[in-house]
Amino acid sequence: MDVAYPVGLVVVAAAIIIGFTALVREKDDLHRILLTDLAEILALVLIALVATDLAEALILPGLVVGISELMAVSEVYIAKEGLRAPTGPPFRIEVMNSAPGILALILVAYGIVLSGFTGGVIAAVGAVFYFMCRGHTEQFELIETVSGYAWAFWIGAFFIFMFLPGYWFFGVMIAGGAILLKVMAKMSLVGTMRGGGPDV
Amino acid sequence: MTPNRSIITRISVIISRVENLTALYALLAIVVVVLGLVSLPFIAYQNDQLYEKTLDPESTLDPYDRGGVPFGTTPVKAQYPENSPYAGYVTAYLTPFSQWLADTTHHMGTTIVAHPGGIIDEILYNTRGLDTVVETSILFVAFGIASYLFRRDS
Amino acid sequence: MFNLPTTNIGGPELFVLEFGDIVTYFSPYTAALFVFALIFTVLAIVSRPERQVDFAFGGDAYYTKVVDPDLLRFQRFMAIACGLATLGAMVTGDVFNFTLFASMVGITNIGIVAAYRNRHVLNAAFQYGIVAMLASIPLFGGAAIVLASTGTLSMWELFGGAMAVPLIAKAFLVLGVMGEGMAPFYIAKAEITRAQGAPFILMVHVSSLLLFLRVTEIVISM
Repeated sequence: MDVAYPVGLVVVAAAIIIGFTALVREKDDLHRILLTDLAEILALVLIALVATDLAEALILPGLVVGISELMAVSEVYIAKEGLRAPTGPPFRIEVMNSAPGILALILVAYGIVLSGFTGGVIAAVGAVFYFMCRGHTEQFELIETVSGYAWAFWIGAFFIFMFLPGYWFFGVMIAGGAILLKVMAKMSLVGTMRGGGPDV
Repeated sequence: MTPNRSIITRISVIISRVENLTALYALLAIVVVVLGLVSLPFIAYQNDQLYEKTLDPESTLDPYDRGGVPFGTTPVKAQYPENSPYAGYVTAYLTPFSQWLADTTHHMGTTIVAHPGGIIDEILYNTRGLDTVVETSILFVAFGIASYLFRRDS
Repeated sequence: MFNLPTTNIGGPELFVLEFGDIVTYFSPYTAALFVFALIFTVLAIVSRPERQVDFAFGGDAYYTKVVDPDLLRFQRFMAIACGLATLGAMVTGDVFNFTLFASMVGITNIGIVAAYRNRHVLNAAFQYGIVAMLASIPLFGGAAIVLASTGTLSMWELFGGAMAVPLIAKAFLVLGVMGEGMAPFYIAKAEITRAQGAPFILMVHVSSLLLFLRVTEIVISM
């Protein structure tokens, strides 16, 4: 460990120099977004070099911050360039008529069993698939509302942990349920948001 | 660009273009890293870390086992243990279903870790809960920006 | 209540609020910054947007710019979020927590300026967005190096002087805040201030200024 850490640091420093040199030379905005996204991994590598349970926990906020900034900035890019989703013939295959109900049900149910982050992702895949096949216009508002409530629940759970630590079990349950809802809502929103075209 | 401009004019022309901002910042970061590169090999890793990682290949929760018995005290090396009297409880708790998974098979550690009360959540939920609150708020704000920009055009 | 390693953190402590490992505190310095941020957050909540008037040069003609209520609501939300993030960054007692608050300030700043339709302003917002994303590398990297080399993130431990924080970690923190707060790039900020909506634009400046004051304190005390 004593030798590994400085060596790791030097490797990361070399990677930062390479990545940022690429950014200095790159003039195209879209490529800049991609390079930035790539370079953000270096922050996670630096945290991971600490190699404790704490570092494991800190990677998650680091990752989420990177993803959210990427989402906001790419949306700004789309607005800046005035890009539009291309319109074409709708994408239809037979399975999209018969499968969505049952597949979405299975995925959402399995996601709820898993719960937490992973569960949220799996449930969201089910929801995205369902909306993809059945259209999504009216569900949009509903998902946003759910996401807002989940956020509030999460904050509530945090205050239970901090001020009523004896009730930690309720805190875990509330936070676990909230994060399932939150991840699921966010994922399915992101999945359906680009649906300006007829195919999604 | 006229040839007889002073060097200051040239620099200020480059700086004033907002498109060059990224390149400037990246350049600054490179300079700092190159200067810092000299000191990097001398940064010693402090062996006395909080929440140390232990690996137990025999455990059914491997590689995420953080020890402890459900509803019992678990030794957790937190920064201020006085502030979190129930630290370790969340780590050790498993829902009945995941307890069953853990008892049955050796290969579901990654699945079990995704549960609330699963192993990774202790630090994020409890002792460093404020970090997670900020993190979710960042996601919330970013999402607000994205959906506002998206919906404005449609 | 519980034992902190020092009772004197950047001056006598006025108030301490513990959230587990993250112990927020008010010293005279941070309390002053906090009050300053609070005033501007309240201003952002109560103020009405600036109404701009364009004059045609050389004549009597002028036209007023219309303030879109949707835009107004969105910008107010972003300005308040930015204010709350600044408040958090002022009083937090943990290095990683501070970096998270700084990132939140960065992203709300993008949000405030990204709401305009003007191509010029959007372009500037995009470039700042890229810089803010890049800044999270030195920001989190600095916090990670602090954690690895000292074994703690709490400012209560780090400010004592017993811990030797590497210079590169401090430089990374400052570099990160520079990116998130956009502070040294004031020349290009004119691109943003050209847009209407003065009280909310003001929040961008206030937050970056306060972030800078705070990171200076952290870097000097460590």
